[in-house]
Parts: sequence; C-alpha cells; structure tokens
Amino acid sequence: MRYTLIAVSSITYAMKAKRMLNNLGYFCEIERTPKNLATGCGYSVRVRDDPEMISSILERNGITIKGKLSVTR
Amino acid sequence: MNKNVYFDNAATGFPKPPSVKSAVLLALEEYGGNPGRGGHSYSIKAAEKVYSARCTAADFFCAEPENVVFTQNCTHALNLAIKGIVSKGDSVVISSMEHNSVARPCFALAHEDTTVNIAQVGKCDEATVENFKRCITPKTKCVVLTAASNVTGRVMPIREIAEITKKFGICLIVDAAQAAGVIPVTLDMGANIICVPGHKGLCGPTGTGMLITDGKYPLKTIIEGGTGATSLELTQTDFMPEHLESGTLNTAGICGLEAGLKYVSMMGLENIYHHENALCEIFLDGVKRNSEIITLRTGEHFVPIVSFNLKGIAAHELATALSNEGFALRGGLHCAPLAHKTIGTLPEGTVRFSPGVFNSQKDTVNLVNTLKKFAKSGI
Repeated sequence: MRYTLIAVSSITYAMKAKRMLNNLGYFCEIERTPKNLATGCGYSVRVRDDPEMISSILERNGITIKGKLSVTR
Repeated sequence: MNKNVYFDNAATGFPKPPSVKSAVLLALEEYGGNPGRGGHSYSIKAAEKVYSARCTAADFFCAEPENVVFTQNCTHALNLAIKGIVSKGDSVVISSMEHNSVARPCFALAHEDTTVNIAQVGKCDEATVENFKRCITPKTKCVVLTAASNVTGRVMPIREIAEITKKFGICLIVDAAQAAGVIPVTLDMGANIICVPGHKGLCGPTGTGMLITDGKYPLKTIIEGGTGATSLELTQTDFMPEHLESGTLNTAGICGLEAGLKYVSMMGLENIYHHENALCEIFLDGVKRNSEIITLRTGEHFVPIVSFNLKGIAAHELATALSNEGFALRGGLHCAPLAHKTIGTLPEGTVRFSPGVFNSQKDTVNLVNTLKKFAKSGI
C-alpha cells in the first residue's frame, strides 16, 4: 500500500484540509506527523491519490504544507 | 406568588434548548479525548467535533474556521482582543455605553501609558458617529464598541463607525454580548474582531465564548502555553487559532455552544428578535401610562432589553421585591457604570427586563401587573 503524508501546521488546519478534500471527493485521514517529516507536535493528512494535485489544492486554500513523505507498506 | 419566571437573559440565557443539554451530555460520553493533543482515536474524534463547532461558528459570523477562537466567555475574548492589539503609547476609543468587560481592560492599559478616549453616545446615531470621529487621533489603534448596550438595549451604529475605522486603518473590536443570537452581527458589517459570549443569545452553556477575527490585525498573546503544535519551540505558536488557545479546550461546552448556534440558526434571528421584541413592546405598553414607572430608552433601535425604575425605590430593592414575587430580573449597575452615567442613573442603577426565547406574553403581563401593584401600594 502506498500513501503520502502531508504535514500541516496544526490540528485545525488538518481538519480544514480533511473537510476540503472530502468535499472534493478525495479520501484522507488525519494522523500525527512522524518525527522524520517535521519536528514538534504536528498533524498530517494521509492521502492515497495524487499528492501533488492535493498539495496544490491545499496551498491555494491557504493551508501551509510543512513537509511531505511518501510511504510504501 | 407567581411561578418562577426568568427574565434575566442579558446576564445569561436560561433555560437552554434541549438540544444543548443533549450535546453536552453526548460530549461527556463520546468526546472524552483531548482535542489536538494526540494521534489516537479519542483525540482525533474530539478534535473533529471541535472543528465542526468552529465551522458552524464561522458560518454564523462570516469568518474562516481558523479565525474562530474559543474562550471562556465574552470578557475573556475582549481581553484577548484589546490587550492583544494595544501597545504602550497607543490610544483606544470606547463608547460611553460600554460594559466593564471593555472599560476595565482599556483602563488597565491606561496605567501603561495608553490613552482611553470615551466617545459620548448621542441622542441619535449621527451624533454618536460624529463623537467617535472627534475622538480618533493619529495614535488611535483600536475602537471598541458594544453592538448593543446591556443596560438600555440600544443598538450602536456599527456599520457607520466601521466606515471610519476602515478609512483610518484602525481595528474595530465589537462587543456583541447582547446582540449575538438576536440581531445580525457579522464580520462583513466591517468589524475586524467580534467578541461574543456563548451562553447568552447563542444558547450555549456558561463557560463558553468566542473571539472571531478577520485576521487583518494580528494579536499579541496575554496567555501562553501548550497548544498541541510547534511543541519544540519555547515561544508561542504563531498561527491561529492555537496562537490564542493555550491549554485544554472546553470540549463539552463547545459542543453545547455548537448546538446553541444550530438552534438559533434553525429558529432564525428574525423570529427570535420578533418574539423577544414583542415581549418588550408589551412591557413598555403596559407601564407607559403609569407615572411611577420610569423606563429608560433613548435611541433608534434596540435589542430586547428594557431598563426601568420605580420612583422612590432603589433598583436592587425593587429587584428583590420582584424576586419575592417569582420574577428574576437584575437590579443595580449591571457592571456598566459608564452606561449608567450616560443615562443618568448613577449610583443606584436600574432594574433590567431582558426576555428570552422561552418567555411568554402571559409571563410578561403578570410582571407588568406586579409592577403596577408595587407602584400603587409599595413593595
């Protein structure tokens, strides 16, 4: 399984991103940002589809991306 | 004695809609994790609920969800706003009808070389707007204005004053303690920051309030601490809303507040105002021919609040006598000495009739009849 973690500033922005992406038909979940992606307590949205497109949508809507990590399991 | 009737909704709204009680209970049962403080399901579930409330509030006040800050009450929100924007040497303009929740934070800053100018509220809105214009100086950093007086119910000309503050690049902070949930107060009226209690017209539980900002004027913090974000840093998180929300949130209260907001939206502001204003009209019509009962209303528009006195009787004594007859009204200064100075009712104050959405015409008529009895025979 492959997915991408997109780290954002806070739980509030993670929730905002999730709502926005769900409304656009993208499935996503929220989880803690792993330490190899960003330092400090933070949250990421986990997405399966088109991370570049999703990142672009988030940034266009004022959500700062702190980092991205592709994961294969 | 009549059954107990609560007419003190300007202090806090009571009773609460059943949906608010259910939402609080559900939160205590289902949303027990600490929102934004972990990655486990309990925390995420609570955070989703808090974010849902943020979105509901944002829709209500025409804001972005991240610019909705949950607070303990309106006073807390006003302190965050006023002390967050004003620096040493700045000037602040407030109206002559402000509650102590505005006046005291401003005068606390006056000890730190901040000038507080009080704009007199005139007999008409035009006069009030002109008085505000006269108080603005190049040092004015913000104008703080109640949307409606908690003593007389008088609605202030927010849009007109917003035109002035916008023109001069001054932050407009609106205290919507008595207006939110009764008349429209939104950011698109020109306010930069709106401070509200959750527990009055918005029908939420006590211990809830909100600061809603358009984000144009960043606020310094007066409280710092854990935010669940940027935890490695020893400086405060610099993005909203966590910047202003240190410490664990009142999840159960916020859930109740969201239910209250939904209740108000479902009922409709216009319907709520129409019902409560009709009770004020009944009250005013009932007492207007009695020369012993003095009502205090000057201005053009009002939220559903009427201040009154009975000649020769101190306000708190009249309130006690009414309480003994089963009517809960507040007597005294209502934490607003500036307003009482403006309307000439210092030092005793007034008794305040503030009906809510659950009050009836019959209860209002009974109150009027009791007042008339007091006017005729004494308390």
